[in-house]
Amino acid sequence: MSILVRRSNLIIPATQLRMIRWAWNRNADAVTIDLQDGIPDAGLETARETLRSAVAQVGKGGAEVFVRVNAAYVYADTAAAMCRSLRGIVLPGAESEQHIADAEAILTELERHNGVELGRTEIIPSIETASGVWHIREIITASPRIRQVCIDEAELAASLGIVQGDDPDPFVYARGRLCIEATAAGVQPVAVADPMGLGTENLSQDDLVQIATNVRNLGFKGMVCSHPVWVNPVNDAYTPTESLVDYYTQVREVFAQALAAGTAAAPFAGRMIDVPVDEWAKDVLAMSAACAVRDAEKQAALQKATVWLESGNPV
Amino acid sequence: MADHPRRLKRSGLTMPIVTERFINNAWHRGCDYINMDLEDSVPPDLKDIARNLVRHSIPVVNKGGADAVCRINHDLMEADLNAVVWPGLMMVNYPKTEYAHEIRRMDEIITRLEAERGIRPGAIEIGANIETAVGVANACEIVSASSRIRDFGGASGYDMSRDLGVEMFVGFDQFVYGKGEVELTARALAVEPRATPFTPNITGSVSDPDRAFAEADAARKCGFRIGGGLHPNVVEPQNRGFMPTDDEVADAHWVLEQYRQLSHSSDTWLQTEDATGQSRIIDRYEAARAEELLQWRALCQERDHEKSEAIARVRAAEEST
Repeated sequence: MSILVRRSNLIIPATQLRMIRWAWNRNADAVTIDLQDGIPDAGLETARETLRSAVAQVGKGGAEVFVRVNAAYVYADTAAAMCRSLRGIVLPGAESEQHIADAEAILTELERHNGVELGRTEIIPSIETASGVWHIREIITASPRIRQVCIDEAELAASLGIVQGDDPDPFVYARGRLCIEATAAGVQPVAVADPMGLGTENLSQDDLVQIATNVRNLGFKGMVCSHPVWVNPVNDAYTPTESLVDYYTQVREVFAQALAAGTAAAPFAGRMIDVPVDEWAKDVLAMSAACAVRDAEKQAALQKATVWLESGNPV
Repeated sequence: MADHPRRLKRSGLTMPIVTERFINNAWHRGCDYINMDLEDSVPPDLKDIARNLVRHSIPVVNKGGADAVCRINHDLMEADLNAVVWPGLMMVNYPKTEYAHEIRRMDEIITRLEAERGIRPGAIEIGANIETAVGVANACEIVSASSRIRDFGGASGYDMSRDLGVEMFVGFDQFVYGKGEVELTARALAVEPRATPFTPNITGSVSDPDRAFAEADAARKCGFRIGGGLHPNVVEPQNRGFMPTDDEVADAHWVLEQYRQLSHSSDTWLQTEDATGQSRIIDRYEAARAEELLQWRALCQERDHEKSEAIARVRAAEEST
């Protein structure tokens, strides 16, 4: 089974036309056009009118394209976005199996109406309330369209009355539950790259990579980036580093030698290497290869789009 | 199923059953249990040979008083059980437990083998090791599946890290939710939790005695009583770390004496100073804690005595021959 590589998901407001125009060259694995946050009802109609062309536009660099719909307008927002270039919708405030069933029915109807392959459009439920955290199992197993689930910590904080600040960490339980239940269901848990409104002005690229790496080591498989500055650090954090690839290549060699010598436990670099370590080494090397393939795909798309631009065509 | 005496598991060594010198030397290490491994430390082409070594290794590993435990293979459960359930075995460790039906099947097979092989019914425990997210998600059903599960835990370690896709030694507790879930499950279903609080380990060393002591001491103070490891260096520090100190024992006696005096009054609590001048509250909760500490200390001493005597007997027999 191929590995889903969706490390960074850059979210941009549908009304920010300049950001929409240039999102394609931000190197994100996915781009989500946001119809929800901060868009007044009056602006929604206008945003919907240009949504399909925006979907095509932001995906020119090889990113998968999602639209975050409004919980109150799932049908209208999805109808405006539905096309073959749309990878899926982000469904905010998911709290129950019924929420997913309703979205599933809408997607099926719109896919049929627009000639899109049935079942192609994904749903990324966004968990934003205590009820969503509690019902996570029924939510993520409600549809085969769900390959990722996202925890929106800013919304969760508002829902729970949490005051901003990262010490003590108020989300240990919610994140842990999301990672365990999603992993158990074969769904990728996704975090947010700027938890609790963390500003990035005073943080270096290395700091951002470290923050994202720590989140990865909680079990998350990608991050929603609300600012382009996060995209490359997140991609780096979720791509095995050269030193990790070297280390696990050696682990595999040491383990193979141990097996040939009649044991499945061998010391290496002060640690004990046995079956699960070798299995993890295989996973890391496979992830490295999958990331390389994904990066090559994006690079090819980016070059194609750049040539198009350099030929005098409009963005 | 009849009640079975609580077996202490403060320290244990896991070793490949196919490495003869490990098995032959394990008995005098002083651990509470020895875990003969058929799983991850045994190469696939040696699995058949390995399982047939267990029956004769049981008396070898428990001659120093350690309980004999065997970790079988998840995917070879029936063949492994048939080869390892013999008199003298205390527990079968089942790795990567994910579903209650796996435990129910194990229980059926062990029940049959106990009857066929003259083992007291219900004597053999099942160690249901949680090493995947699915296992955490199904923890309650798993523990409820058999009364042979007398302790329960996991949700950390290499297999868990692989399942979650996280690195092992990252300087923070990446397993905190899963560990919490299985601990709560164990406590809610009245089996002993098998867990350790987080202590930083960025080296991945399995032989550091200071770390082993610190981990055991921290575990005991969190109410956990079970340890285990891979290297003989960690056995003594674990036994020591799980044993209440003399100061703690003296304090527990003092608390109980204060509580005894309190019980003659109409008050439910009192505030007083201990020998160090520290202000203390004495109430029934403090008394219960002191009582438990003294009971645990007595169990540890009893177990240590049992092992010392067994080791002395073996040495005497060896000298006489």
